[in-house]
Amino acid sequence: MRITKLLHPKDTMTSEERMQAAINLQVPDRVPVSPLIYYFAAYYAGMVNADLRDPANYSRAIDKCFNELGPWDALYPLNFYHAEIGTFIFPMKMLEPGLGLPPDAIRQFLEEEIMVPEDYEWITRACERTPSVSYIRLFLRWIPRIWSHIGEGWRSYVYMLPRIADNLWRWRSEYHDWHDRGVTQLYGFGLEAAFDSFSMARGILNFSRDLRKYPETIARAAEEMTDSYAFILKNLDRFFGVGRVVIALHRTSNDFISPDTFEKVALPSLKSLVERLKAEGVNSVLHCDGNWDLNLAALRELPAGCCVAQFDGASDIFKAKEIIGDRMCIYGDVPADLLALGSPSEVDEYCHRLIEEMGKGGGFILGSGCELAPNARPENVKTMMESVVKYGYYS
Amino acid sequence: MSEKIAALIAAVEEDMTLEEVRKALGDGADPLSLVEALREGMAVVGDKYEAREYFLPDLILSAEIFKESIALIEPHLQSGNTTTKGAVVIGTVHGDIHDIGKNIVATMLKCNGYDVHDLGVDVPPQVFVEKASSTQAGLVAMSGLLTLAFDAMKDTVDALAEAGLRDKAKVIIGGGPVNEKVLEYCGADAFGKDPAEAVRLANRYLA
Repeated sequence: MRITKLLHPKDTMTSEERMQAAINLQVPDRVPVSPLIYYFAAYYAGMVNADLRDPANYSRAIDKCFNELGPWDALYPLNFYHAEIGTFIFPMKMLEPGLGLPPDAIRQFLEEEIMVPEDYEWITRACERTPSVSYIRLFLRWIPRIWSHIGEGWRSYVYMLPRIADNLWRWRSEYHDWHDRGVTQLYGFGLEAAFDSFSMARGILNFSRDLRKYPETIARAAEEMTDSYAFILKNLDRFFGVGRVVIALHRTSNDFISPDTFEKVALPSLKSLVERLKAEGVNSVLHCDGNWDLNLAALRELPAGCCVAQFDGASDIFKAKEIIGDRMCIYGDVPADLLALGSPSEVDEYCHRLIEEMGKGGGFILGSGCELAPNARPENVKTMMESVVKYGYYS
Repeated sequence: MSEKIAALIAAVEEDMTLEEVRKALGDGADPLSLVEALREGMAVVGDKYEAREYFLPDLILSAEIFKESIALIEPHLQSGNTTTKGAVVIGTVHGDIHDIGKNIVATMLKCNGYDVHDLGVDVPPQVFVEKASSTQAGLVAMSGLLTLAFDAMKDTVDALAEAGLRDKAKVIIGGGPVNEKVLEYCGADAFGKDPAEAVRLANRYLA
């Protein structure tokens, strides 16, 4: 990507140079900021959430946020123009605003069985026969179980593939527009990790049984998917030309599993994937939802200097700096409740602390804890964005 | 036999617990003693969860075993021969359909002898009010994982106050983003970060 415009008068690096320096655990000119904004944009722009599936509406809403509350260094894209695309991050039955929910509601999920026990064996066979595309085959097997209007077998391919292509091309076009404004993007493409996908698709009760009955089967199936994950992430990232991908870990925190399960069942396949991506020159942004405090030490097993650990406010981010700060960039974590209910001075105080303590020596990206709360106070969002200019310069 | 059932559910052994409950019922065991054994086992699960020896899968699975076991025992119970510590109304607030945490709390409260009225998810304030009124509940427990749930919690607390129930029922809240700040915002009495905390709060307010 070619970004030449600087975002602030005191900046000496472009947004991409700044992000890459932070990820490389180097000291950039200042702390970068990258909020995950989606539904907040609709609220702020006076739209309903369902409107955001229209690319023109999304563009208007996110532009308004950027122009009035930004700038930010890296766009965190989360705009699925076809609701079914969201399945690739959240393989669960979902209710979308305007599709099962009121148009001003936010996306929510149902804990139902999408993946049946036999699918673990199916994965083994698929990975033997078609290692590179087994991921696509698995998700297109699941999608008709999630979306009843999509037929099974070849019908799911006919329905989904054009929509996937449409969304990818739109994203690429949008990214080029952002580059012209001096803004990079956090990642080229993202997927939910295999372990987490199984957890979501089995449903929490079934997956709890699976973890007790056959943890080795889960670990093996996740490991077998690595070829396909690496193939898809690497090639789609190249399509976007970023060099970073998101690996979403919604179900791996200690809110869901024990540190022992993490180390024995979830981590091996995650490590394989991160190593494969590193070998291809692609960095991994680990979207670590929930409380990861007891998993932090094990994260040191991941290769150094190629990962970003994104926390959402539930983990002790300051402890994370101590334990893994020399191995990976840390990203976060202005909490949702602070942005929704706090005052600008409270937000300023917390951002200042993050920048001073987490930003010390580099290796830190400021962001909202997971998605920016839809009901965040705009003045709080602006305070967060401004904090990197107010406190974030290293010299 | 009761000790074995308590140990099995405490070890989160689903098939073996259910088999033992069936066997005990077949042998004519006192159904109330079986319920008590299950409660004892669940108390161990709760302790281990608090000690971070057990995690969510253990909690969810043991709660399921408890429900399955109670379903086996219930036909053997004579109506009116169980005592409760009081009525609790629980639900996920309007606009939010998350139910994992709410379901666990509901089961843990049942395990601890409360008469739990689970209203499900996406529950409007008025439904909380009506159920709290009709059951004369001493505790209303609200769950929510979305930041948008903060307003729904506040609306529900306000609705309970308008209905004149706030001096009759304590209100507790829980869910991922819930903390002191949210508690202050919505005007509830207390919040719990996990199911064990919810049970402690119920014991404080009702037992």
